Amino acid sequence: MKNILTISIVFALLLTIGCSKENLDPVPQTSLSDLSVFDTKDRVVAQVNGMYALTKSGNFLGGRFFVYNDVRAENFIPKSSNLVTCFATWNHSVVSSTNEVQNFWGAVYAAVNAINVFLEGLQVAWDGGKLDGKITQAEFDQFRSEALTLRALCYFDLLQLYAKPYNIGAGANPGVPLRLTAMKSAEGNDLARSTVAECYTQILKDLNDAEPLAATSYSTALLNTTRIHRNTIIALKTRVYLHMQNWANVVSESAKIVGQSTPPFSATSGVAFALNPSYADLWTTYTSAESIFSMPFTSTNTPGTQNGLPHYFNSASSESYYLNTSAGSVYATMNDTDVRKSSLVLADGNYFLSKYPDFTTLTNYAPVIRYAEVLLNRAEALVRSGGAVTAEALSLLNAVRTRSFPTGAYASFATVNDFYNAILLERNMEFLGEGMRNLDIMRLGIPIPAKNTSMGNVAEIPSTSTSYIWPMPANELGINKLLTPNK
Amino acid sequence: MKRILLFLSLMLITGSLVIAQTVLISGTVTGSEDGLPLPGVNITVKGTTVGAITGADGKYTLSAPAGSQALIFSFIGFVTQEVPIQSRTTINVVLRQDLYNIEEVVVVAYGTQQKRDITGAVSSVKGDAIKAVPVQSFDQALQGKAAGVSITLPNGVLNNVPVIRIRGFNSISGSSYPLIVVDGIPIATGNFGGNAITNALADINPADIQSMDILKDASATALYGSRAANGVIIITTKRGTGARTKVTYDGNVGLTQPYHLFEMMNAAQYIEHKNKAWQNLLGATAPQLSFVNDENGDPIDTRWADYVYQTGFQHNHTLSFSGSTPSTSYFLSAGYTDQEGMVKKNFYERKNARINLDHKLNKYVTLNANIAYTLGYTEAPNTGASFATAGAARLAFVLPPNLGPYKNDGSGDYNIEGSAIGRMGQPFPNLGYYNPVAIFNLNKFTTSTDRLLTTLSASVEPIKGLVLKTQYGIDYLNSETTTFQSPVTGDSYGSNGFAGNGYTKFKRWTWTNTANYNLVLREKFNIGLLAGAEEQYTTSVSWSGSKTNVADPFFKVYQGTWVTAGMGGGGIGENYFISYFGRASFNYNRKYYVEGSIRRDGFSGLAAGNKFGTFGGASVMWNASNEQFISNTLGSIFSDIRLKASYGRVGNISAVGDFSSLFLYGAGVYGAVPTLTFNQAGNADLQWETSDKYDVGLSFGLLNDKIQAEINYYYNDINGLVLSVPQSPSKGIPGNSIPANVGSMFNTGLELTLTSFNFSTAKFSWTTTLNFSTLKNEVTALAPGVTEILGITGGLETTNRTVVGKPVGGILAVETRGVDPETGRRIYLNAAGKEVLFYFENSGAERWKYRDGSGNAPQITTAADGKVMGSPLPKFFGGLDNNVTYQGFDLSLGLTYAFAFDVYSGSKAGLRDQRWWNNSVEVYETAWEQPGDITNIPKPVMNDNISNGSSFPISENIERGDYVKVRSISAGYTFRKLPTVTNIESIRLYAQIFNAFVFTKFSGSDPEVSTEGNSNIAPGIDRNTAPQARNFTFGASINF
Repeated sequence: MKNILTISIVFALLLTIGCSKENLDPVPQTSLSDLSVFDTKDRVVAQVNGMYALTKSGNFLGGRFFVYNDVRAENFIPKSSNLVTCFATWNHSVVSSTNEVQNFWGAVYAAVNAINVFLEGLQVAWDGGKLDGKITQAEFDQFRSEALTLRALCYFDLLQLYAKPYNIGAGANPGVPLRLTAMKSAEGNDLARSTVAECYTQILKDLNDAEPLAATSYSTALLNTTRIHRNTIIALKTRVYLHMQNWANVVSESAKIVGQSTPPFSATSGVAFALNPSYADLWTTYTSAESIFSMPFTSTNTPGTQNGLPHYFNSASSESYYLNTSAGSVYATMNDTDVRKSSLVLADGNYFLSKYPDFTTLTNYAPVIRYAEVLLNRAEALVRSGGAVTAEALSLLNAVRTRSFPTGAYASFATVNDFYNAILLERNMEFLGEGMRNLDIMRLGIPIPAKNTSMGNVAEIPSTSTSYIWPMPANELGINKLLTPNK
Repeated sequence: MKRILLFLSLMLITGSLVIAQTVLISGTVTGSEDGLPLPGVNITVKGTTVGAITGADGKYTLSAPAGSQALIFSFIGFVTQEVPIQSRTTINVVLRQDLYNIEEVVVVAYGTQQKRDITGAVSSVKGDAIKAVPVQSFDQALQGKAAGVSITLPNGVLNNVPVIRIRGFNSISGSSYPLIVVDGIPIATGNFGGNAITNALADINPADIQSMDILKDASATALYGSRAANGVIIITTKRGTGARTKVTYDGNVGLTQPYHLFEMMNAAQYIEHKNKAWQNLLGATAPQLSFVNDENGDPIDTRWADYVYQTGFQHNHTLSFSGSTPSTSYFLSAGYTDQEGMVKKNFYERKNARINLDHKLNKYVTLNANIAYTLGYTEAPNTGASFATAGAARLAFVLPPNLGPYKNDGSGDYNIEGSAIGRMGQPFPNLGYYNPVAIFNLNKFTTSTDRLLTTLSASVEPIKGLVLKTQYGIDYLNSETTTFQSPVTGDSYGSNGFAGNGYTKFKRWTWTNTANYNLVLREKFNIGLLAGAEEQYTTSVSWSGSKTNVADPFFKVYQGTWVTAGMGGGGIGENYFISYFGRASFNYNRKYYVEGSIRRDGFSGLAAGNKFGTFGGASVMWNASNEQFISNTLGSIFSDIRLKASYGRVGNISAVGDFSSLFLYGAGVYGAVPTLTFNQAGNADLQWETSDKYDVGLSFGLLNDKIQAEINYYYNDINGLVLSVPQSPSKGIPGNSIPANVGSMFNTGLELTLTSFNFSTAKFSWTTTLNFSTLKNEVTALAPGVTEILGITGGLETTNRTVVGKPVGGILAVETRGVDPETGRRIYLNAAGKEVLFYFENSGAERWKYRDGSGNAPQITTAADGKVMGSPLPKFFGGLDNNVTYQGFDLSLGLTYAFAFDVYSGSKAGLRDQRWWNNSVEVYETAWEQPGDITNIPKPVMNDNISNGSSFPISENIERGDYVKVRSISAGYTFRKLPTVTNIESIRLYAQIFNAFVFTKFSGSDPEVSTEGNSNIAPGIDRNTAPQARNFTFGASINF
């Protein structure tokens, strides 16, 4: 009986099981708390790279942004009618709930908020002295400049698909909601769209604020191409001003990074941008002086199968797009000896780009901006601002053209319009598969050309059509009560 | 806690009073059926611990304390009898067999109770009811067996995880899946596989199950506190009984087939129809499809379903040994299951062993062990529903019938072009979809699991009625998934092959200590007390690796040589519960019952200062039939009348993740450099969801319990639903949502269970069980400022909308009104109520036009024009079972039914899609051709994916899902009088058809479907889902 009493007491004591404090407060082993992300310089740098990683999302600059802007226009015909691979974008049948309309918006704003969260966190940590001795004032400035530039790029790219171009109504049309503060709680769902002009004002403010803070260059070519420095910001400004048709500012900004009036052209301070001698090498050597800003990929860091540029433009993909070769197409216009034509891949009777050869692992870098564009931006702006085709403008255009088509130099132009057409054609040839065509159509407010193909006939879309730009995404319209739909 | 201990100690002392004077009583106990003596009957003197057991001759002798009032005779399978002593010294008793199971013992939270003493709402299903059903896991066989319990098999692919709902939907973001407790341990549930889905519950051999008790109201579940809101299913495995070692073999073999495949166009119909559609798009320039000849020169006409589905062969075996000695009882079993599915290359194999032991160490101490080890293996092609281009069910109907699986040059090579099926010279665009024969043969997806489920416990009974128990349970589940995708064609053609392995190590220990005290005071006051404490610690560690670009086509495994290694993945989950609980139950003379339970839970996933919550329930019951005045007046009709009521508040923690309260940054890479990005906006205020459950019930028995009925009405008010409060995507919050306790909804319903023992003689018996449930669910609040929660199917299609004032997961669609007879165009109704026609071949603003001729209309979208057009939750459902035995024959018929609900048939949209996809014969026969045609299939225009509902859901594709299913039919014969030399006691041979017939008007393959599996917000969706399987089984059950 005594034993039983002892055993019973032992059992009774078991009832008073103690609570394990440690078990009740587990710490995640695969994520970091927000409290510790400014503890070391490495973590701050990792956060900077994190902003780039978000803009590099497959739904954004990792691939799809370029694809959307290529396939909306007239140059390409899809192999597949799969809606996942942009068929609705191609035939202008997207609606507010179409995946690309919602996913692109979401991806860009995810990057915007990450940038805002970083800017706020960095400022708090800096002001609070938490970064003392960890990063320098120059580094603090540089990180901020990278964040501001990325934010400007995000808003600029959003405007291209969701808002009427600046030239229609001088920016008075609705743009996108401008999110400029960190969003971390459930507050603040409603935010109205700023006008296109207000958005451009913000984009330029960010770029102008960033320019003096930026690093002039980095230690490696890879960093110069994949991180933002002063000349990157200037290059982006030439594009932004070009879209605003502020020709004078395109000229003045481009002058900062085009140091000569005759070829060879290059940037004479900061990172020394220059045209790469070989057009073909640009697609295997990603960090030449021409690649101003590109999105890097490795075999362990890919854009995702149906996002990557190779998936859309490589002949081996079952869902890729081939060139429209009908009369009047850019293909038909190109000279057979032009490298940009002769390097096309013929497969199954159709012509495909050779720019993105790595269909197996999707590691081809996605080019955001190249020096060739800066030269063409400057050429166009010189003529448009001055009203006459200058020798400098002509040699800028020829510099890009003759690299790929050595015998194709233009001697002169009868009218400025001929020059403008030549510039547009050159841009179309030069940047096929880099998302330029729709941007050029938009900034000039010209109709999106018709497509008559075996995949269906798609009519011309004039700038007055509701299909000229994408609708506001359904998931934003459903929650953000101040958002007005596109009409 | 201390006070409870003190009280228990007092009980301990009062209970050990000793009484000196005795009276000797003896007699014989016989059975009413045959009049033969009954050995092993338990006899106790009422109100004491004095007792005896009858010997082999049915005789007993005992010394009753002087002044004893009555003896209680009890024996398993017989009705317990209380016999007044009335100064007699010889008492002979005839025990009546318990034909109507009124003495049934039910397992409840941390204990057992007699069915008639249960004050809460509990349904019980015996293991026998499911053991011969050819399923992989017991839950699949529970369908239609218990009132208020709805079970949906998502499709017929082996080892799927059924959707279980007890009394409706109890959560929106979290899970509505019940807590599963096996022999006292809450175990891992859900899918532990990858592509080859693996139900964690399949690790329990259904043949080892003694009983399944389903706790439904808060009174019954309150002791599970924060995990009780979805109800609890308690599984109890078999234990040894009887002095003789009983050897049982159960085995069956069977065949499985898909039930109801679509009738598709043949090649001739396809070519004619698609050419017409192309003509309608492009006119004279339209390409022309034509017959392709095979290597023998005959036109190819492929029925793709023949290459996807098969008749699978299955066999299952279980051998068990059980018995007991006075001190030890044992149940040992081993099982083997080998099943082929109805989809080609779908296999399931299970090997399992179980040892259940109970040993009485001495008068006071008992030791128990349950040890079960299971090896599982599942292999399946990609059967994923929704939009995968590799989805087997979709390939069975999407591919053109004028193409074949092999090249027509006689080479026997697969007909492929890169990743996709080859076009054989036909003017298609690239088809994109895969060749099912090629990917079935070349790719391989497996899941292998091993599972150790063990409970060890020790109990001490220092005084009669007081049991102190400590129990330690472990649930270790290791799951390895392998994926190989060939470089030849299919998903990984582009990456030149893919191999990925994943490993998940789930480990949980649960340590439970309880003190249970049952006592009777003054013969009439029955008191039960329970106090306990429990800790549960769970970790789930997973890792995965992937490789692409195979070095040599020889390699088909991850361990082979590959050129490119992917970034490894994985995760570490960890959570912990600490809980204290108690229950007190009381009844006066089995007439008036009161019971109360309380549990305090601490959970690690909640923020500091917010970790603990208290839950509880209480119930009352009046057993009117035990009242003299009732039994005197109504006793001849009503053998049992009980009225019950309960209330309780329980919780649901499933929507709170291990680290949901924290604000986190995740690491990644940008090219080759590390990154940190904000990836979780946490909420430190997060709490459990709470359910206030109200229940009233009436149970009655008629004609000496020949007819037993139970009626329950419940109202379940759920508050603090954790909703991923959707954020404007422009805020850029990761996942576009933040969880918060903001929502509320209720479920209410009526449940009826009727069991009628129509005949119950030894020769002939016929039992009918009917259960009927109603369910009304209504969402009463969502997050502030949130008017709807959208349910997404396959990550692409918005199919459901949850709004306040309506049931959860309403089917969202744009209303359509058939086809305009004049133009052959689909008629849409826009938000303004105007009819709009769609012209696919136009572009831009010309595509949508008002039907009244008033020009172009804004394009129709789900967001602008969609509305809830259907309710996927059946308003009525249940089952009807009939079991008949006549001498050796037995026959049973099980029906399940569900009424008043809708299904969105996304598959139907696919079957009518005017891209190059094959269509159902219905499209060929009834599509609009000329003005005046009355049809609901519009003018076919090549590539039109909008008029049919592929682009966004339309009401045309919502159908009533009402069905009655003949779930199982079985017939058997039991041979009993076998020559003794065989040592065989009995053999039952049986045949069974499972999922025999479905009676429904639903045009899809089966209205019992759930493409989105366990999702609360996207129920009732059929999007390219595989059909259900029909099984034919022949089996034998042999007792030695």
